[in-house]
Amino acid sequence: MDTLSMLLHGFGVALQPMNLMWALIGSVLGTAIGILPGIGPALTIALLLPVTVSVGPVSAFIMFAGVLYGAMYGGSTTAILINTPGEAGSMMTALEGNKMARRGRGAAALATAAIGSFIAGTIATLALTFAAPAVAELAFIFTPADYFALTVMAFTSVAVVMGTSRVRGFISLFLGLALGVIGIDAMTGQPRMTFGMPDLLDGVELTVVLVSVFAVGEILYVASRFRHQNEEIIPIRGKAFMTRDEWKRSWKPWLRGTAIGFPMGAIPGGGSELPTMLSYSLEKNLSKNKQEFGHGAIEGVAGPEAANNAAAAGILVPLLTLGLPTSATAAILLVAFQNYGLQPGPFLFTSNPELIWGLIASLYVGNCMLLVLNLPLVGLWVRLLYIPKPQLYAGILVFAMIGIWGVSGSAFELGMMAGLGVLSYVMRVYGFPIAPLLIGMILVPMAENQLRTALAAGQGNFMVLLHSPIAVSFYIAAALFLAVPWILKRVQR
Amino acid sequence: MTSVPRQPWWLGLAVILAGAVCLYASSSLTLSAQYAAIGPGLFVALVGAGLIALGILLLVQMSRGTAFDEQERAADPGMDKGPFLTVLLAAVLPSLLMEPLGLPLTAAVCFMLVARALGSRRALLDLISGLALGSACWFLFGRLGLQLGSFLPIAGV
Repeated sequence: MDTLSMLLHGFGVALQPMNLMWALIGSVLGTAIGILPGIGPALTIALLLPVTVSVGPVSAFIMFAGVLYGAMYGGSTTAILINTPGEAGSMMTALEGNKMARRGRGAAALATAAIGSFIAGTIATLALTFAAPAVAELAFIFTPADYFALTVMAFTSVAVVMGTSRVRGFISLFLGLALGVIGIDAMTGQPRMTFGMPDLLDGVELTVVLVSVFAVGEILYVASRFRHQNEEIIPIRGKAFMTRDEWKRSWKPWLRGTAIGFPMGAIPGGGSELPTMLSYSLEKNLSKNKQEFGHGAIEGVAGPEAANNAAAAGILVPLLTLGLPTSATAAILLVAFQNYGLQPGPFLFTSNPELIWGLIASLYVGNCMLLVLNLPLVGLWVRLLYIPKPQLYAGILVFAMIGIWGVSGSAFELGMMAGLGVLSYVMRVYGFPIAPLLIGMILVPMAENQLRTALAAGQGNFMVLLHSPIAVSFYIAAALFLAVPWILKRVQR
Repeated sequence: MTSVPRQPWWLGLAVILAGAVCLYASSSLTLSAQYAAIGPGLFVALVGAGLIALGILLLVQMSRGTAFDEQERAADPGMDKGPFLTVLLAAVLPSLLMEPLGLPLTAAVCFMLVARALGSRRALLDLISGLALGSACWFLFGRLGLQLGSFLPIAGV
């Protein structure tokens, strides 16, 4: 079947009443959680992983898709009204959106963010619809050596791009690799890094790591800095819709933001932060109203918000076609697939088309739901910002605890929750990015298995890793990721 | 309130120690296999060596004063030890309380501790809220298929 008929089949799945309900639950949850500062899609999906244990994979992923897009929408509300990004991708929105709100144009800022998110989300989902099957076809020709090179490129790019220091990025990555090799070796059956502890024989449960690193680390950080936080909520004022001039100034940034966000989201390490920053810089350079930047320029909200949502669809391309997570949220979605015994990659398109195409179709559906939920109901969502922080974070810890206890039923893993929470806190305080740790841990079985399979095929000759031009291209890309920032720094000096 | 140290040397040492642990763990594993020429220990050894090298690099960076620049430190208001330790206690307690007390009571204690750490002074109300949340989750998620144990194991309920 061609892409369009597969997509139609996907709509047949996504539009079933039960799946529509899951999409609505996901969109509402995502928006609500995106609005709450510090609680992004990664933490939400991590907390929902254990809860979806009895939900079928199609419904669960339709809900996760709603959470992913919803959190991107919701993040802008917090950024605009309290100058605190609800999630990292809304950083640039906070810069201009909050200034607009202070000038009485909060409603217009929220509208350009919501409409831009809808347009970008829809265009990017269209691009995903047609790009994903093509990339999946390409992946069929990859050999184990190519896959190993791909993981090396992913490791390098994620460690270099995420965070402020390459050394700290690589330390985070290697800590993830170290966590990932704990347990029984799949090829020889030997226990590794277990130090005689039977609880470690099955390895470190990914859900435990995700929940601990995101939820417990966040609560520890917020508690240790809570007294310094001062959040002033600006009431929504101004006309509900954008003026003719604001429409005129928004539509081009929406399209440019989409063009930047989608491919950047698909690149390992691109995430949602980088495209929003690039979009903001581009709009600042192209704008006829440069003097307004820093004082509430609508282009500075429209472009980054579109880039942010387009990137959310972009991360699904390598995830669905190659099983390659390019951001922390993608890493958690990969774990969700693995929890259902599914391995994303080219074979998933043929073995489980209902899931893949149902998920893609649900992105269109969720996007429409979000526009309806966000434009007229923004006043309602803002009320969430008034939930008292003590009870909110206390509830998050209870949910984290329930998740780990429900998945493992082990007091040892509950103890690990505290240990990993402290590790996450230290990493956050000292500027170690979390995403490389997660991606290292999640991809280490793939990297190691492909390396050992390639070497077995090459009878132990390490040169087999360099025989394929695809693998060599990935190594060159990895070297570029490593070298280009360093060269640019030297040139600037 | 304590400020974050400008050059946390212990971080570099901790990374080196983690690398040494990996190297030690890899030493007990077979390093060669029939065709692959690598065994289960190679990857662990590579990770250990990588961590040691990165730990040394971090220490070198710190000795040059470039690892944790002033801008980053200035943006960090510093740590309040009391609330941090209270939340840490709330995170540690489930591993000790969950088996004897069960989910609802453990949730009540943890909820109250976190809320207190973040400024709530209504301990009894927080305890009741935590108990209500824990009990509702125990019932609902149990219905969804999560295995959350007995309601109050110590009483055999």
